[in-house]
Amino acid sequence: MTMILAVMYREYRIRKTSLTWLFYDLFMPLTYLLLFGIGLDRAFAQGIPIPGGTISYNAFFLSGVLAMACFGIAINTSYGFFVDRDNGIFYEFLTYPMTRAQFLIGKIVFNCLMSLAQATLTVVLGVLLLGIPFLWSQTVFVLLGVALGTAGWFFFLATFALRIRRNDMFNTFINVAYFVLMFASSLFYPLDQLPSWLRIVSWINPMTWHTDALRYATIGVGDVRIVVLEATAFALFLLLSFGAALQTIRRAILR
Amino acid sequence: MTSGTMAIEVQGLTKVYHPPSSPPVTALDGLDLRVRRGEIFGLLGKNGAGKTTLLRILTTLMPPSAGRVTILGHDVIDDSLRVRQNICVVLQENAVELYLSVLDNLITYARFHALARRDIIPRAERVMEQFELTEHRAQKVIDLSGGLKRRVQVAKVFMVEKPIVFLDEATTGMDPINKRATLTAIREQARAGRTIFLTTHILEEAEELCDTIAIIDRGKCLAMGSLPAIKSLIPNAFEISITFDMLPESLAAEFRALPLLKLEQKHATIEARIRAIDLPLLETISRLARGATVRHFEVRSATLEDVFVGLLGSGARASDTREPGAP
Repeated sequence: MTMILAVMYREYRIRKTSLTWLFYDLFMPLTYLLLFGIGLDRAFAQGIPIPGGTISYNAFFLSGVLAMACFGIAINTSYGFFVDRDNGIFYEFLTYPMTRAQFLIGKIVFNCLMSLAQATLTVVLGVLLLGIPFLWSQTVFVLLGVALGTAGWFFFLATFALRIRRNDMFNTFINVAYFVLMFASSLFYPLDQLPSWLRIVSWINPMTWHTDALRYATIGVGDVRIVVLEATAFALFLLLSFGAALQTIRRAILR
Repeated sequence: MTSGTMAIEVQGLTKVYHPPSSPPVTALDGLDLRVRRGEIFGLLGKNGAGKTTLLRILTTLMPPSAGRVTILGHDVIDDSLRVRQNICVVLQENAVELYLSVLDNLITYARFHALARRDIIPRAERVMEQFELTEHRAQKVIDLSGGLKRRVQVAKVFMVEKPIVFLDEATTGMDPINKRATLTAIREQARAGRTIFLTTHILEEAEELCDTIAIIDRGKCLAMGSLPAIKSLIPNAFEISITFDMLPESLAAEFRALPLLKLEQKHATIEARIRAIDLPLLETISRLARGATVRHFEVRSATLEDVFVGLLGSGARASDTREPGAP
């Protein structure tokens, strides 16, 4: 536990040195919701169809923003491996008296706390400013979804960040991953209207599983059986990603 | 010597790299080393000799291809966490938190090594004073010069008291005054019972600090032992330096005519090397020196650099020169 706290302390000290970074982490999703969400809310003035009626685009998009924010924090955290490698400190860390798992867990616990703070701000201000009908009774599930989502995406991206040596290669990978994961998913729009090939791609996309679970938790939209299946699939994705990241940091740092 | 007295034991250590689309490279080739507890052990070798690879294996950064390495009896592969609990490391690469202040770098390092919180600040104050970092305490490391960054990196290991300290080219980039402070700090740590394992290119540094020295080349140990034992590896030689008030050409020619191992003339200074057993030659040199006004006359034995160049230049065969009874 001491080591995990030490890793968290280090993440905290670094984050504290940059207010821009802190602002980005805390307010960016809200800004996204306010600008992008409001714009599309006007464009979809008739609302987004759901079984038994419609909902506003802002309400639909809240879970998308939360999922995107988790992914954003995971990108920043995994990109930290490159910064640490460039500073030379990465290899020194690996000589510290901690296990590789403690190192990964310390990093992700701190960043999950950041995600939770970010999600809380986004939800509270989203409800107050945009009137999103958030289900307060399901707050615990939303927070759980945010924390596990951040962890899942971090472990997934960390595996690549630890394997890819070149910064520009990783940036390219992130751009492609961002594009595919975001747009071939239920993050921005409902899947029902999409062509069948894109729907199939979206169904096997963990971003869809994560967004759907968050959507059910935030506004209660979705088929509970499918959402449970998607949540289970995402949990499996998280475990596999953790295993892959751990193996990578244990074996593939220096060959 | 039992393994209980050993800080580090390396047996048959081999490391082979498999670079993509290139033939395999053997960085370490059946290396054997033993480092006693509480000693300052210097590892010397040319670039590419395998020093950094060895250090990476010893510090659990890299697995060996074959062989066995234990640190205080703990295997670096099977018990790597216990190994890391007993070591602290200054890597050759710069390793500092660029965006944190000097003080925060020290605090963070101490927390990673589980130093009690109440001891962290007093200790950091002492270390900053020792390494003349106090005036930079609040500065972010990214704003410091290269030498200061290195000083912060080295200072970190003095925040904690681990039984074994690995220093890879620790004084690189430091000015002479801070280099001196670092060497003093290393000596103090050794006196306190810590084992220091250092690699360096600065042979005077190794000569001044180390109890035991190992010279490796192409992943094999060429020589290992105390400084006198290492020096005995090359034919005993005396280095003679004579500075004259004025050196007449006729006298210089007489020196050139002598059967010396080496002769260099720099202005009015003659640098010569002779076999230590060749006392008549020493007597001749002494007699020649009386032919002009001498400002400075110095005779000294071979330096570590002479041994280093002698061994690595001649591609000497592997040998262990430890004294009888030594590990």
